[in-house]
Amino acid sequence: MPAIRAASKRKPPPEGFTDIEEDLLIFGNKMKDAQNAPTDNIPKHQAQWPVFQISHQRSRYIYELYYEKEAISKQLYDWLLKNNYADALLIAKWKKQGYEKLCCLRCVQTKETNFNSTCICRVPKAQLKEGQDVQCVSCGCRGCASCD
Amino acid sequence: MLKSTYVPSPAVLQPLPAGWTEHKAPTGHTYYYNAETKESTYKRPVAVPAPMKPMDNYHQHQVVPQIKLSDPNVANAFMAQFAPPPPQQQQHGGRGGFGGPGGRGSFQSRPRPQPVDKPRSKVAIPGHEPWVLVYTKYGRRFAYNSAKNASYWRIPEKLMPAILELDKERIRLKALGKSLDEKDEGDKQKSAAGPSPRPATHEDEAPAHDYDSSEYEEVEVTDDEGDEQEDGNAPKRQRTEEPTENQGPVEFTEADIAAQLAAMGADYADDEEGEYYGYDEEMGEGGDAGVLLSEQDTRELFKDLLNDFNINPYSPWEKLIEEGKVFDDPRYTVLGTTRERKEVWEEWSRAKIQQLKEMRAKESKKDPKIPYLALLQEKATPKLYWPEFKRKYKKEEAMKDTKLSDKDREKLYREHINRLKMPQSQLKADLKKLLESVALSALNNTTMVSHLPPQVLGDIRYISLDPQIRDPFVEAYIQGLGPPPADDQLAQEEEDEAAKKRREERKRREKALEERERAVAEEKRRQEKKVRFERAKLREEERELERAMQVGKKGLQSQLGVMDKDAVMDDAALM
Ligand SMILES: [Zn+2]
Ligand SMILES: [Zn+2]
Repeated sequence: MPAIRAASKRKPPPEGFTDIEEDLLIFGNKMKDAQNAPTDNIPKHQAQWPVFQISHQRSRYIYELYYEKEAISKQLYDWLLKNNYADALLIAKWKKQGYEKLCCLRCVQTKETNFNSTCICRVPKAQLKEGQDVQCVSCGCRGCASCD
Repeated sequence: MLKSTYVPSPAVLQPLPAGWTEHKAPTGHTYYYNAETKESTYKRPVAVPAPMKPMDNYHQHQVVPQIKLSDPNVANAFMAQFAPPPPQQQQHGGRGGFGGPGGRGSFQSRPRPQPVDKPRSKVAIPGHEPWVLVYTKYGRRFAYNSAKNASYWRIPEKLMPAILELDKERIRLKALGKSLDEKDEGDKQKSAAGPSPRPATHEDEAPAHDYDSSEYEEVEVTDDEGDEQEDGNAPKRQRTEEPTENQGPVEFTEADIAAQLAAMGADYADDEEGEYYGYDEEMGEGGDAGVLLSEQDTRELFKDLLNDFNINPYSPWEKLIEEGKVFDDPRYTVLGTTRERKEVWEEWSRAKIQQLKEMRAKESKKDPKIPYLALLQEKATPKLYWPEFKRKYKKEEAMKDTKLSDKDREKLYREHINRLKMPQSQLKADLKKLLESVALSALNNTTMVSHLPPQVLGDIRYISLDPQIRDPFVEAYIQGLGPPPADDQLAQEEEDEAAKKRREERKRREKALEERERAVAEEKRRQEKKVRFERAKLREEERELERAMQVGKKGLQSQLGVMDKDAVMDDAALM
């Protein structure tokens, strides 16, 4: 009976999970909605923006709970990362100077962008022309430079 | 989340009412700010749509035959045909008014510069025909009953609601009307008006009926009840003479006006709705009503709000914004910007989470063994082996609590069963030892047997004796103890004192907020009046222009003849 054994072996989430369970569920539902939303009349490159943004928000939520508010334990934080509630690589970037607000990993991967440089959303507002409105292609970010 | 943060297409949005501007919050949310009232809201403010009443819309309210009423002379000629005007005709008028150019009579400094006031325009009071509201050259007004031919400076109470409605309409119209561009002009004129610091003429929308011209009906308000003058509180009642055509204007004398003003002033002074007695309040900037809220207060109020709405401190900020349930509470806008709100929210959630953690730490000190031991005391028996007991009571809460492992449960079960076989004297001695190990602060002569400290309840020695033997034993032991140490009581009292202080502090800032809300409302009212005043100025200028293009008397009368036959609505003419 391998199925039952697996079920009995599954560990319950660490303490404190109940505090954030409801909000994680909301994020989860939003994510599902975003993934299932019809993309018929949306430009192809925009279709995944909502997914990126929800993923970003959820990672941010967990990041702030652990690093800024000290609201959750190390065990719970690790458990959340392990269970893909947050993007560990993105959070790792946030801890680096200059990347505190980074929107997504794609926007700092030079190879994927057209100009072989980082995304336009990484450019500080001060360096843009007055009133220039930017939105990056990969995740829909409107600017995520640390100094903005 | 994303959907709700996206701004709806501007095409479906109505234009913002005057004074409001649209902004983007750091969260990406759109909000609206009113620089005049310092209000901000997430709900898009809309101009109050004018209900469909005849008086509502400039373009619709005319029920009278088509006449170019914007021309005062035409209007006068028209009025002259109905002397006294039949009730349904009273609907006419209403709009297109103005305050007189010199209409800055003030009841503080008597209208010395212009001692002569006269009726200038009138507007039917809807639902109260044949009552009309007559505006004077100086921008005051009185109620006139054309059937009884009586005028009242003091507006009869039964007319108040209808007049209030009329005034509300005017205020609403301001949203559709002109901005305050002419403000400077108005201020200049104000100062030019001489010694009176409180301009009293701000009535607009008065009908275009100029009584100056001698050939038309005059509504003459004379003071024929002079004896009432002495009594400042008596409603001032004026009668008009039988209106006759082609009679020269009968003027208010300075004394008349002074008396009227005195009579009105007495009521007006402490009356919030002062304008219904014929005056608008001063137009000054004002609004510096004592705001007792400190910055700390506003932050605390915002935190109170979060607490009162049971906001989960673990939840993300975006959730608070998306749910929007706190927006309508005045404590939400007590902080001016979203940035500030988020900052305070952050501070609050951090502290709140910390508080919850501490509470939980205290709670976890509540030994999970306690409920389990209570269960053992009740159900355990040497007749049941552990697996049997476990199966039989697996539904019990105490059996499911994850803070206690099954291994520990089993161990406690076995130990308990073994102890049940021990002699009672031994068990009593063990219990006594346990009680003696507890400090006096936790166990003393004020302790109740039903509320023993956790260190007793969580000890296996406590459940070994049958409660019927145990409880009297414990009771006797407690009675032999001394009172609790003094500093404990002191600490308790201090805690109560702190709680009381917190409650009082909260009450105080809530009261301050109320005060501020009131001040904001007052300022809003001022602004509305200002707008009305500016609007009146504008109308007066238009009026001057029209006067310049006066039609000759002859031409006018022939024009009237044509209109009379052809009674069609023409609203545009009024603009
Ligand atoms: Zn970006
Ligand atoms: Zn990105």
